[in-house]
Amino acid sequence: MTDARHAVRKTGRHQAKANRQLLYKRVESMKVVKIDKKKWDQGLAALKGVYRIFSPVKMKDAFEFKALEENENPDLGGLNTRLSAKGLIYPQTEAMFTYTLDESREDHHIMSPVETDYSPRAVIGLRPCDADAFLLVQRNFDTPQYKDPYWIDAYEATTIVGLACENPCSTCFCTSAGSGPFNETGLDVLMVETKDGYILKSVTPKGESLIAASGWNDEISPEEAQKQIEPLKTAAEQKISSVVETDQLKNKDAMTIYNAPFWDDVAFACINCGTCTFVCPTCWCFDIQDETHKTEGVRMRNWDSCMFPLFTLHGSGHNPRGEKVQRVRQRFMHKLKYYVDKYNDGIQCVGCGRCVRACPVNIDIRKVCSLMNQPENATCAAQS
Amino acid sequence: MLGYIDKIREIGERLFTDGKVDVVIGFAKGSMPMMNEPMMARSSGDLQKMVWDGNCGINLANYLTNRKEKIGIVAKGCDSRNIVTHIIENKIKRDQLYIIGVPCKGMIDRRAISKAVPGEVTEVIETRDSIRVKGRDFDETFDRGDVLQKNCAVCLHRNPVIYDELVADPVVEQTGIDRYEDVRKIDSLSTEEKWRFFDDLLSPCVRCYACRNACPLCYCPTCFVDESKPQWVGKGIDDIDIKTFHFLRAYHCAGRCTDCGSCERSCPVGINMRVLTKKLEMDCKDLFDWEAGLTLDKRPPLDTYRPDDPNNFIK
Amino acid sequence: MDFMGIERDRLHLSWISSAEATKFIDVVGEVTAAIKALGPNTNFVKNKAKAA
Ligand code: SF4
Ligand code: SF4
Ligand code: SF4
Ligand code: SF4
Repeated sequence: MTDARHAVRKTGRHQAKANRQLLYKRVESMKVVKIDKKKWDQGLAALKGVYRIFSPVKMKDAFEFKALEENENPDLGGLNTRLSAKGLIYPQTEAMFTYTLDESREDHHIMSPVETDYSPRAVIGLRPCDADAFLLVQRNFDTPQYKDPYWIDAYEATTIVGLACENPCSTCFCTSAGSGPFNETGLDVLMVETKDGYILKSVTPKGESLIAASGWNDEISPEEAQKQIEPLKTAAEQKISSVVETDQLKNKDAMTIYNAPFWDDVAFACINCGTCTFVCPTCWCFDIQDETHKTEGVRMRNWDSCMFPLFTLHGSGHNPRGEKVQRVRQRFMHKLKYYVDKYNDGIQCVGCGRCVRACPVNIDIRKVCSLMNQPENATCAAQS
Repeated sequence: MLGYIDKIREIGERLFTDGKVDVVIGFAKGSMPMMNEPMMARSSGDLQKMVWDGNCGINLANYLTNRKEKIGIVAKGCDSRNIVTHIIENKIKRDQLYIIGVPCKGMIDRRAISKAVPGEVTEVIETRDSIRVKGRDFDETFDRGDVLQKNCAVCLHRNPVIYDELVADPVVEQTGIDRYEDVRKIDSLSTEEKWRFFDDLLSPCVRCYACRNACPLCYCPTCFVDESKPQWVGKGIDDIDIKTFHFLRAYHCAGRCTDCGSCERSCPVGINMRVLTKKLEMDCKDLFDWEAGLTLDKRPPLDTYRPDDPNNFIK
Repeated sequence: MDFMGIERDRLHLSWISSAEATKFIDVVGEVTAAIKALGPNTNFVKNKAKAA
C-alpha cells in the first residue's frame, strides 16, 4: 500500500504539512454532490446496506461515536465528541489473539487469530481534526518496517466522511496545529452543511465509491462547490479564537526545553490521571496483557498512558520516570519536540482541544506549548 | 466568598515574610471558564496569581501527601476534613501546616451549567448569589444555589474544622438537609435493578482513574488495580473489572471519605461514583455515629474496636 | 454487597469455635440452603474478558 501512495496536490494554507499529505492518496477529479435534507435519510439507508456506519450520537450528557442501528440517525449538530474517533480504528481494549492451555486439544499453546469484522465501515460526521489525527497515528502503526495488522486492517476498511466544522469550540486550535475546520487531509469525503442540506465532496477513490453507493447524485461542478464552501470556511476559521505559536519548537535545543525551569510549576497540579492521553486522537501508546480464564486465554492490548507511573516501571522495580514532573514533561516533549524533530512535520497534536477541556485540573497544552516555544522567556513562575 | 482573595494573599505574604512557610498551596485562575488550576506559590510574588471563586472544587489536601516543606494551604470545609484525615493517617504533620481556612458557600457544578445552556460556555460572571454565563448565542443567569456541585448542595460542614486562621467569618451551616436520599433510593431497588443501575452508571468509564488520583484518600504507593503480582483486576474495559475497581475503591474510603466531590468533579465522563462512597458514609454514620475528618482526637471506626460495635451480621 | 446488586444471603459470617462441631454443621447447612435457594450467581461473574 505504501507504493500506491503518490504525491498529492498541495492546497490551502497548510503546505507545511506536505509530508502528512503524502501518506494518503487523493483524486484529482473529485466528485461533488449536493444533498437535499429530504434525501439524506434515503442515502443513509442505502449506505447502511453497504457499510457499517459509525457516527456521533448523543449518549447521556455527551456526544460519542457509536455504530448506528437500523433506524438510528447521526447527531451532527452537537459540540465535538467527548472522546476522539481514535477508538474506532484503535479500540481501548482490542483482542489480538486467543489461545488455549487445554493440553487435550491439538492447538494448545498456539495462538489463533481473533475474528474481527473488517467489512467496509464508514465514519460519518467526525471532524477534520480527528481525521487528520489518523494520519499522525499511522506513523506509529504503519511504517515501512513495521506493519500493525490490526490498525491497518481497520483503517483500510474505513471510509471517512468528515463534517466541516462550522462551530469550533473556544479551546480548538486546529489552525495552529496544521489542521483546520475544513481541512481535507485524512478525509475520504468532505461534507459541508449548507442552508438547505449538505455538499459532499470526494477527496479519495474510497470517497468516490461511498458517494456512488449512497445514490446521492445531484452533482455540481467543483467550481460551484468551491464558491459555496469558501465563505463558510473563512467564517469557521475566523471563529477559531485560540492561536498557539509552534514556530520555534524545531530550532530550540531539546535539552534547553527539557531543562527549562517551568516544568515543576506546569506539573504541580497534575494528578497523572492520563485523561489527556485517553481523549487525545493522536496518543497511540498501549500495553499488552494476557487474560486467562480456566484454560482459555486472550491476549489483548489496552490504551496506556505516559502519565501513569506503571507505564515505565521496569521489572527490576526501577522506574526511569518515577516522578510526576518527569511524566508530565514526557507527554509534552513527545508531542511538541521529539515528534517534531523526528518527523519534520509539525507537532503531534491536531489542536482538537479535548485534553484542555477534559483535564480535571486545567493543565492546558496551549500554555505549555507557548512556554516550550520560548523557553528563554519563561521564568520559574510559569503559571501566568 | 469573592472577597476572600485579598485576605488569602495578605495572610500568604505575612507567612512568607515571617518565614513561617516555604510554599503556599491554593488556586490559580484557569484558562477556561469554570476551571481553576491548583498551584503552589513559592514566594509572595506568586501569590498575585492566586484566585478564589466558585471554581475551586478540587480538594487541595491531595497535594499534601508526604510533603516535607512547611506549607500554607488554603482549605475549604471539606479540604480541612481531609487534612484532618491526612494528619491522623500520618501523611502530613500538623506542625508542618499553616491552614488558611475558607468558609465555603459551595462550588459551582460546571457540568450542570454546561448542560443547562444551549452551547459552549465562553464567559462566566460570578456574583454573591448568582452565576451569569455567556456563550455565542446565549446569556443566562442562574441562582447560585441551583447550580452547586451535588456534594456541596448537601454539605453540612462548610466551615473549616481545623485552621490557623480564617479568611472571613464563618458562614451559616445548612440544616434540615437529607444527605442520603439518593443512597436510599438505590437501597430500595431489587438486586437485579441495583446491578443494572451500576451497569448504567459506570458504563462510560474509561478507567483513567482520575477519580482515584484526585482523591486525597487514595495515596497508596501501588493501588490494587495496578498490582501485577498478583493481578487482582483485569486491565481492559470489561465491565466486571470496572465494577471491581469502583466497588473496592469505595470500600477503601469507608469511614474516611468526606464527600468533597473531587472524584466526581474530576471524572472526564461525569460519573457520579459518589453514590458508592456515600453509602459507606451513611453506614458509618448509622452504625458508629461517625463522620470523617471532624477531629484529631478520635481514631476512625475501622481503626478501632469497641465491645459494643454492631455485630448482628455475625450469625 | 447488597447495595451493588449481589444478594445479601450469598455472604455469611459466623463465629464458631473448634469445639462447636454441631454449630458448624448447622451453619454450613444454612449457608448451602440459602445459596441454593438463590441459585447460581450471575452478577459479578467474568468468564472471558470483553474486548473489541
Ligand atoms: S488530564 Fe490533566 S491531570 Fe490528568 S494526567 Fe493529563 S494533565 Fe495530568
Ligand atoms: S494533545 Fe490535546 S489538543 Fe492536541 S490532539 Fe491531543 S487532545 Fe487534541
Ligand atoms: S472518595 Fe471522592 S468525595 Fe470521598 S474524599 Fe475521595 S475524592 Fe472526596
Ligand atoms: S474518573 Fe471517571 S472515567 Fe476515570 S476511572 Fe474514575 S469513573 Fe472511570
